[in-house]
Amino acid sequence: MIYPEPKCSPGGDRFMLIEFGDELTLELNFFSQSLARATADQSIKGIVETAPCFSSLLVHYEPDEIRFDDLRREMLHLAGSLGAAEDVEVESRLLYFPAVYLDPWTADAMAEYRDKINPDKESDPEFITQLNGLDDVAQFVRVHSGSEYWCAALGFWPGTPFLMPLDPRCRLTAPKYNPPRTFTPRGTIGMGGGSTAIYPVDGPGGYQIFARTPVPIWDAQQRLPEFESQLWLLQPTDRIKFVPCSVEEFNEIERKVEEGSYVLNITGYQKVSLKSYKNWTDQLDISTRF
Amino acid sequence: MLEVIKPGLETSVQDYLGRRGHLNLGFPWSGAMDSWSFRLANILVGNEGGAAGLECQFIGPTLKMHNDTVIAVTGADMNPKVDGQPILMWESVALSAGQVLELTFAKTGARSYIAVSGGVDCPAFLGSSSTFHKAGIGGIEGHAIQIGQMIPVSDGDGVAGRRVKESVRPQISTDKSWHIEVVRGPNDDWIDEAGHERFLTTPWKLSAKSDRSGFRLEGPDWSFTEKALNKRPEHGSDPANIIDQGYPVGGINLAGQTPIILVSDGPSMGGFINPYTVPQCAFWKLGQSKPSEHYQFQIISVDEAQEKAREITALCGESSIV
Repeated sequence: MIYPEPKCSPGGDRFMLIEFGDELTLELNFFSQSLARATADQSIKGIVETAPCFSSLLVHYEPDEIRFDDLRREMLHLAGSLGAAEDVEVESRLLYFPAVYLDPWTADAMAEYRDKINPDKESDPEFITQLNGLDDVAQFVRVHSGSEYWCAALGFWPGTPFLMPLDPRCRLTAPKYNPPRTFTPRGTIGMGGGSTAIYPVDGPGGYQIFARTPVPIWDAQQRLPEFESQLWLLQPTDRIKFVPCSVEEFNEIERKVEEGSYVLNITGYQKVSLKSYKNWTDQLDISTRF
Repeated sequence: MLEVIKPGLETSVQDYLGRRGHLNLGFPWSGAMDSWSFRLANILVGNEGGAAGLECQFIGPTLKMHNDTVIAVTGADMNPKVDGQPILMWESVALSAGQVLELTFAKTGARSYIAVSGGVDCPAFLGSSSTFHKAGIGGIEGHAIQIGQMIPVSDGDGVAGRRVKESVRPQISTDKSWHIEVVRGPNDDWIDEAGHERFLTTPWKLSAKSDRSGFRLEGPDWSFTEKALNKRPEHGSDPANIIDQGYPVGGINLAGQTPIILVSDGPSMGGFINPYTVPQCAFWKLGQSKPSEHYQFQIISVDEAQEKAREITALCGESSIV
């Protein structure tokens, strides 16, 4: 649901979390992003930075300049003054990411987790398949790769995208690992809750994992031209389409990335509006799967 | 310039406030964990309180001076010596080119700070010199200092013999237990009353699996309210799962049943609840505690937390120096 009034909660002495609802919808993310933009435009005294995510906005404020109660009042006022999100049109790039589904590398990471931490952990893709009532892992791959993904936020680690499927027929859910994994290979694609992410570097992680892309989203070595001005690739409002590929293609692309000759497949001229999105989703039979 | 003879366990360039303003790109603040000790070290050598210096963790470095300079060591006691002779902490000390500053194991506390007059001079990344080694940014080549490296230092006008008053130094616990202030929220309504009671009455053990990203705590299991147990599937089915959200720095992040305090290099977003947040005024205690020591958490209000941070900041100035 969308809450009748946004919920504001303290996070220690310098943060306020504003929650707008408890769903993964494009509408709530448009709202979070719009409020973050409006906050930056208004330059409210005492706000140091904001971090919008799927359906919430984290505000970092300077308590010497604004009190929590005043901040809450200002933010609720600003949220109330935002126009209808329906009519907003957002520039949105579409990026194609080749990805090996059911790949050997995430399989190794799962095996390591079973060895070191939890011997009873099922294979992640099979677990998601069962949990979501799919026929088999082949259908899971079809469903997961069947939608464009909306980049709702960057966070967790520099340049890490939080993604949601735009096609409602591709919505899947899964719990996060308990406890988290200590190792996940760079480029791993995983999901937790209703969200999908790409891991920018090797590291710990809590999402169920099942695929890997050779395309970098963080490159401290700046091998490709897209990383010359900043070390991360993505931005909120990007859309990502995973294109299943083979291990051989993965290796070839990785080699090209390494030598700096890989050409990223990015479409840059499109726009997304909530109205046209809703017109499309309203006429879908969302009980069907690919 | 300082030449690294021995790097110590993980000694890195940090500043204060760190790299603030980029949580929406996923960059943590980084910066000195015990900013109280850190700022006082800088004030001693005539720097701005936030100037870049060295944070030494558990085992300090050995550094050779390549210029005449003034340094100060604060925070954890790592038995600092110059050319083998003990020097006083919390006091500015003049060193000549060729002299060697040596820090060893932390006797009390966990993090020692070395300030150098003029401040460490390394290129800023997104406005800060602080090292975030997991992404290879800031500091010296993005990582902890390495043997043989030269650490560049700006010109300074530090004076030897300045001392921090005893009464304004952080009192590092010697009995392996700490009282840590916490503020309730943001996700406190996911935990039931029994869970809150257990959190506040348990001495939580700091796990050895802790670093500048997260401090893992060992203790009893948590229990939850209906909100956590009966919710929409996109949160994830585990009670501690929530739709991914921004994490406050200092959030006590419940990863399944394991609470992890998100400290200076911690993640900026994720899908676990944060029932409590450690405010900035208690960060110096986190920075000075060692694995297997215990935390007892005490609730304070947002206003009290802000006031305590102001009190510490007021101590990090010239009035604390004699």
